[in-house]
Amino acid sequence: MSATDCRHARLHIGAAPHELPAAIAQHLAGCAECSRFRDETLALDARLRSALEVPLPRFRERAPRSRRLALAASVVLALLLAGGAWLVNPKPALAGEIAEHVTHEAGSWDKQQVLSPADINAVLQQAGVRFDTSLPVVYAMACPFRGRHVPHFVVQTPQGPMTVMLLAHEKVSARTEFSEHGLSGVVLPAGEGSVAVLTRNGTVPDEVAGEVAGAVRW
Amino acid sequence: MKPASHGTTAGAAFTRLLQMLQPDLLRFACWLARDRSVAEDVVQETLIRAWKSREELKDPAAARPWLFTIVRREHARLYERKRLPSVDIDSVEALGDPALATEGDAGLDDLRRAIMQLPDEYREPLVLQVLGGFTTAEIASQLQLTQAAVLTRLFRARNRLRTIYGLAPAEDVE
Repeated sequence: MSATDCRHARLHIGAAPHELPAAIAQHLAGCAECSRFRDETLALDARLRSALEVPLPRFRERAPRSRRLALAASVVLALLLAGGAWLVNPKPALAGEIAEHVTHEAGSWDKQQVLSPADINAVLQQAGVRFDTSLPVVYAMACPFRGRHVPHFVVQTPQGPMTVMLLAHEKVSARTEFSEHGLSGVVLPAGEGSVAVLTRNGTVPDEVAGEVAGAVRW
Repeated sequence: MKPASHGTTAGAAFTRLLQMLQPDLLRFACWLARDRSVAEDVVQETLIRAWKSREELKDPAAARPWLFTIVRREHARLYERKRLPSVDIDSVEALGDPALATEGDAGLDDLRRAIMQLPDEYREPLVLQVLGGFTTAEIASQLQLTQAAVLTRLFRARNRLRTIYGLAPAEDVE
């Protein structure tokens, strides 16, 4: 393995560890030192993401400046009215914890094989929940979350794989959308509890969120 | 469906999209500006501009890069318009900027300080990549650089941060 190959590989790894060309991946298969460098860089990147995702205290309320156009002020006011007080409210802690949990099981997104009803029921029974969805389930795990065992599924949808968490013990008063850790999601009230649906691509379509919320029975 | 109600529905959907992405926009603006107050101005201007240009967004899945691009432009515009002075890292910390707030994780605080201290030319592509999820090709397009230049800047940014993380720096690239 030449030093030039290794320098070239480390440039790519150090610059974009999640976006390596095939030639670099091939190099890694035969170079333990560069593989170690890649592992170190991936660990650094996980830390970097945590550092960059700074917790946000309240968005400071401010009076419109006199120079601001009346139209601009009215747009902000319209956004505030249409979306509630989202500009000045912090994101619920629940959403952040859900997103963080899902990132720790990132491999679940890659599952392709549809699970049998028996596999799915084994997970549901641990939590005492029913989930009669028509969406194909490709991942099912009873995960510890806030001191409970929570069914964690990945379902296939026309918009790609989406994570579903059935939160029997987390009651929410209203639908809440969020974006955390590079994931978009929604938490919905469902009977006595709630459900969370998350995606890596765009937003969770209403029909998917509705299907999930309607399929759960506590 | 009446045209008016369709417009209202589309407006509500767009508002929800902005609502969902607003925290990451503010984070991105904070890392660009290194000043919370300036970042809030940038995000407000971004939301206004996005609302006025919402017809241009054909695919909601593209909203995130579209909005990040507007944040970048508004940040540059604000500095150009106001001739804001560059930010001194020590003064930022002295003001108790939330981006440097301690959460009981000293390592994370050190890393945040180190990111804050990176030169703009290294910090911006790094934040676009890690926080914004942009590819190196997209960053090159955003910053009007070659992809090779972006790779070099990202490599150097991470290389500076490796030591903060307790790792030996890699040999620099020419």
